[in-house]
Amino acid sequence: MADVEYGVGIGWRPEISGFVAELPGLRFAEVVAESVHAHGDLPAGLSELLERGVTVIPHGVRLGLGGAEAVDPDRVRHLATVAERVGAPLVSEHIAFVRAGGVEAGHLLPLPRSRDAVDAMVANVRRTQAELAVPIALEPIAALFDWPDDELSEADFITEILDRTGAHLLLDIANVYANARNRGTDPLELLDKLPLDRIAYVHVAGGDEHDGLYHDTHTHATPQPVLDLITELCRRHRPPALMLERDGDYPPAGELRSELDAIAAASGYHPIT
Amino acid sequence: MTESLAARQAALVEALTSGKPVPHGIDGFRFEAARTALLRKRAGEVSRQWPMLAASFGARWKREFADWAAARPTQGSLRDGWDLARELHARGSLKGAAAEEFAGREAAMRYDGASAPHPRRTPAWRSAAGAVVVQFRGRVRVIRRAG
Repeated sequence: MADVEYGVGIGWRPEISGFVAELPGLRFAEVVAESVHAHGDLPAGLSELLERGVTVIPHGVRLGLGGAEAVDPDRVRHLATVAERVGAPLVSEHIAFVRAGGVEAGHLLPLPRSRDAVDAMVANVRRTQAELAVPIALEPIAALFDWPDDELSEADFITEILDRTGAHLLLDIANVYANARNRGTDPLELLDKLPLDRIAYVHVAGGDEHDGLYHDTHTHATPQPVLDLITELCRRHRPPALMLERDGDYPPAGELRSELDAIAAASGYHPIT
Repeated sequence: MTESLAARQAALVEALTSGKPVPHGIDGFRFEAARTALLRKRAGEVSRQWPMLAASFGARWKREFADWAAARPTQGSLRDGWDLARELHARGSLKGAAAEEFAGREAAMRYDGASAPHPRRTPAWRSAAGAVVVQFRGRVRVIRRAG
């Protein structure tokens, strides 16, 4: 994935399958790994994309690689199987935990930035890599709250996990924006400290403010400051691929096209619409 | 001796999903914002699986679902909606299209309330407000009573 420039892509969802199918310049898309059956038929729209030669990246959301417990081998096997089925050059998951003590959180939760959390994350990434035929990229999440007593800065925490696992970085630029805004820190400072040459691809999404906190909703339009951050990122090191994530309240096709064009303009890649 | 990562993670998930107090050292306002966002996201996911159930609440859906779900960790959106629909059905407050949607699910799948629902292998029927829902070989049909 890191050797080929894919340009602008989009997260494939059944609700916008028709829209995605009609994007003439599309070269890559992402699919939520848990939404694809390991053995049954692939969703119709997804098969069409594959036949067109569009690269499809399975994106896991339920492995819980940052959990203190060992990752469930069935979930790893499912991810590996989906990757094989769609011929993916890469898969991705999050630096997060999603369950603990037998209870599902239903959401991606932030890890404490501590040594033991790095160890737990690294152990689970290695267990996953052992079953995968392709590399994995890891995505730092947006968090509304932080744990007390963090031992590492965000950049050091991410870099150490990547260094110890050899994983690629899936950088969500909207998460960088959300975290910096909610913590009152400088997003450019984080970009300057992250290993940008390790980026496999980039997520872009919209959000909304409630009671002074910015929520990374994926159901609103991408705000201008996030597009500006894309430009800043590309000035430092242009990633090979960037994609829009939209997960509900789908706007008319024209608005989605404008968002894809805005990402192309901000990154200097060709429009795909 | 610091608390283990496993214990800290378990306490956090329990607080988030069971309405328990915010874990020590975490900003209460931000944690509540995360809890509310999570419940609203769950409401959105359940409304995709149970569109008629959600529609029956109109504009109150997200708030009502969030109240119901605040102390119930998710079992996935299919089961979450199913559990809520069963409660409403037992109280006799499931009406119209939401009642038909519920009857259709009950006829199509076997759900024990504790593990993943499975498709029924045998024909089944359920009555809903003003209609009967029949499932035969996996196909579900709604038969409305005349008048």
